[in-house]
Amino acid sequence: MRADAQVLKGHLDVLLLAALADGPLHGYAIKESLRAGSRGRFDLPTGTIYPALHRLERAALIAGSWSVVDGRRRRSYRLTDKGHRKLVGERAKWRDFADAVTAMLERDPWPATT
Amino acid sequence: MAGDDLIERYLATVTRRLPPDAVDELSDGLMETFHRHLAEGLDPAEAAAAAIAEFGDPDQITAAFARQAPGRRAAIILLATGPIFGAAWGTSLIAGKVWTWPIPSAVGAAFAAALLIVVAALVAATSRRAYGHVLVAAVACGGLILLDTATLVAVALAAPALVWPMALAIPASLTRIVMATRAVPRVLAH
Repeated sequence: MRADAQVLKGHLDVLLLAALADGPLHGYAIKESLRAGSRGRFDLPTGTIYPALHRLERAALIAGSWSVVDGRRRRSYRLTDKGHRKLVGERAKWRDFADAVTAMLERDPWPATT
Repeated sequence: MAGDDLIERYLATVTRRLPPDAVDELSDGLMETFHRHLAEGLDPAEAAAAAIAEFGDPDQITAAFARQAPGRRAAIILLATGPIFGAAWGTSLIAGKVWTWPIPSAVGAAFAAALLIVVAALVAATSRRAYGHVLVAAVACGGLILLDTATLVAVALAAPALVWPMALAIPASLTRIVMATRAVPRVLAH
């Protein structure tokens, strides 16, 4: 699982956007959605999700708002229009890339040429 | 109970290092994790330890925040490009025989001191544990804008003649003034 951490880093932004595709969530719920959605493979330290969310918010891809739950301040995030467009674009790019890798790795072996 | 102590100590540590909004957000997530583990039947001490393990230790979290902090990024870029400016202006001032310019030596000394302070502030703002050094980064950006401006004014008023290395140094300083000016509100907005 740890070996995935480095790879995961490069895709974290788009995974966080994807976690918000179905509606607003707060940090901990986003982390749980990542874990459940990846069948347990993407299990990040929760604390490191927050700075990544703040970066996405500065880029106007998501928007946060405060509420009070059980007497605690809670910040929830939703996708902005810009974030939604980014997610759609990244999804298409990922499909292209994954198709190409799959085609390469799973093609039939070359016939022997001796 | 022991679990609450553990969580309180953890939150006290992050409170010293991160802005209040970030701490509120973290503590909401941590409390939710803690309560979930309690609901799963762990005793408070176990639930607190499990919640903290799931969250990451304070160093890990502060480092993650610092990596994303706009002040730190701006400071790293300004420090990394510093030697280029030093070389361009160093060459320009030597080629222009700066020691013959009509500038009081006290002004020169004040400029050198201000430059040292700005560099020290930039170095401080790149620290991984220094998420709270947003103001330091903003002040360093502001200081650099003033120093660049002062250099350009000195060249305009006091340099007897322009020398060719200034063709690189002057546009470089103008560019840095624009970039640092745009970085300040971004740094402070956080």
